Amino acid sequence: MKPLILGLGNDLLSDDGIGYFAARKLAEEFGGRAQVRQTSCSGLALLDILIGCDKAIIIDAVQTGRVPPGTIIEFGPHDLRAIPNPSPHYTGLPEMMTLARELRLTFPEDIRILAVEAEDVHTIGGPLCAPVAAAIDKLVQMVNAYLEQWEKQARDLPAIAGRSETAG
Amino acid sequence: MTRKISIDPITRLEGHGKIDIFLNDQGGVDRAYMQVPELRGFERFAQGRPAEDMPQITSRICGVCPTAHHMAGTKALDDLYKVDPPAAAKKVRELVYSIFYVEDHALHFFYLAGPDFVVGPTAPKAQRNILGVLGKVGLEIGKEVIGMRKQLRELMTLATGKVIHPVFGLPGGISKPLKKDDQPKFVEAARHAVEFGKFTLKIFNDVVLKNPQYVEYITSEMYTHRTHYMGMVDQNNKVTFYDGMLRVVEPDGKERTKFAGHEYLKHIAEHVEPWSYIKFSYLKDIGWKGFNDGPESGIFAVAPLARLNAADGMATPLAQEAYQQFYQTLGGKPVHFTLATNWARVIELVYAAERMQELANDPETFSPNVRTLPTVKPDEGIGVIEAPRGVLIHHYKTDDRGIITNANLIVATQNNAARIALSVDKAAKGAITNGRIDDGVLNLVEMAFRAYDPCHGCATHALPGHMPLAVRVYRPDGCLVQELRRE
Repeated sequence: MKPLILGLGNDLLSDDGIGYFAARKLAEEFGGRAQVRQTSCSGLALLDILIGCDKAIIIDAVQTGRVPPGTIIEFGPHDLRAIPNPSPHYTGLPEMMTLARELRLTFPEDIRILAVEAEDVHTIGGPLCAPVAAAIDKLVQMVNAYLEQWEKQARDLPAIAGRSETAG
Repeated sequence: MTRKISIDPITRLEGHGKIDIFLNDQGGVDRAYMQVPELRGFERFAQGRPAEDMPQITSRICGVCPTAHHMAGTKALDDLYKVDPPAAAKKVRELVYSIFYVEDHALHFFYLAGPDFVVGPTAPKAQRNILGVLGKVGLEIGKEVIGMRKQLRELMTLATGKVIHPVFGLPGGISKPLKKDDQPKFVEAARHAVEFGKFTLKIFNDVVLKNPQYVEYITSEMYTHRTHYMGMVDQNNKVTFYDGMLRVVEPDGKERTKFAGHEYLKHIAEHVEPWSYIKFSYLKDIGWKGFNDGPESGIFAVAPLARLNAADGMATPLAQEAYQQFYQTLGGKPVHFTLATNWARVIELVYAAERMQELANDPETFSPNVRTLPTVKPDEGIGVIEAPRGVLIHHYKTDDRGIITNANLIVATQNNAARIALSVDKAAKGAITNGRIDDGVLNLVEMAFRAYDPCHGCATHALPGHMPLAVRVYRPDGCLVQELRRE
């Protein structure tokens, strides 16, 4: 199964669109190796998209106010609750994960979040601010690193007799 | 005596709602103000765009009620081109809208109201979420909610082409008819939705109404405001969401006025305060009399409680039964208890499901004739609808090619903003008596505005009810004594 790369954001709301625009670039680069999607959904609606995947990378905007715009903060599922200022987009994500587990739904055990510090998320129709737009190239590198790591893990898994690993 | 502090709305916290609480000398609350971040630049953004794009664009700006914006925008287009859609188109629009209402109201009840009322408002924070709710009502219900949602969203995609951002409404109709072959899917989903509505009502009855502590919260003075109420009604004065007249009732329940949405400027005016970006709607003929309730005040409320108060009943049988039980239990009409909105919402969920069933079983809904082509030059159009959170107005002015020269939206939360301000202030005064706030106290204040489920800019992407909030408490001399952040 191919990993999911999910760009969260709204391209009509300036830096809030970073996940959305990044996803377009990521689809160009990694379309063959991953499933790339974009959405403005949040919380429960993310459940629909994430159910059935076993690995996911989420790209999103965040406003901690503590780092310069364009800084990429990365964290994994265990970090979600510990992060002091998560994006409202996936505030619901830890709950969703627990919910999925309780309801025995297939949900990614390995979720990575790449959160880009935004400058402006309130101006309708505004463009990505320059430092935020500049983060896209770095995002491509980071996503590539995750994909390579997962691909290596998959190769190193011993083949199970009577079953073959599907290419995804 | 408290010193006057001027609050600078410019110093807002990005992405957070902000509550500023000013203490008096006794450690109680002198005033509480709630500010929310607002989206900027809509008018400028809309200018120069084809009006026909507005239903899609506006549905994308607000992720909470995208279908409501889409429908309001589509109705504004009908008015812009002075074109009346065929009956089948109106039925499909209303069917889609009913599906949206079932999903949205269900989401609110289980994710937003549920944690307060099913788990308990002073329960530990870690339990006040959907998992806590399921802990109380059973995991199977969780599967049911998710399953129901999925089924409804699939139907929406079938009807409109995309789930969150439908590309579907056109001036004079819709882009494609429903297929007759798909009727059984809609009928089955509607049947399921009605069952779902019934059991949600049952949960409310069994878990909330049978708990005296919750009933005490619901009926407490701390969460009561006696304002005017505005809601959309059909020709029989029953609650309706898609199309009808707007009816305003007095705090004592008597009809004050009833008008077509097109006339909104004669009836609704906007007031500005220095401490908030949001514009506060009020009744024009009364005028702005400050943040007070009562018949002398121009403040009115919208959304589920207001809609039930402004109408004479519900148009479908199960909802009507629930409506009667509501008023019987709470002491007659109108009900002024803000928290009763959560109950009113469940009653509306039942109506939306029953309406969905009526429309799904109606052969005309599946007719191929779904478009009346516009023939006149566009000029000005107004579309009014009931969003889950209240009356929503889209107003477009265009040149004769249909390019927007001016656009204004009055969103539901603006129409409730004044009452929300009253509620936050009163709840803070009721909850804070010794000058300090903790998580439990903060939650009591939040419950006040959460009942309105405000659709603020930053709530666009948040799980409803999880708007990050920063609360600051000031001493009478203006010094900040406490800051609490809710992430």
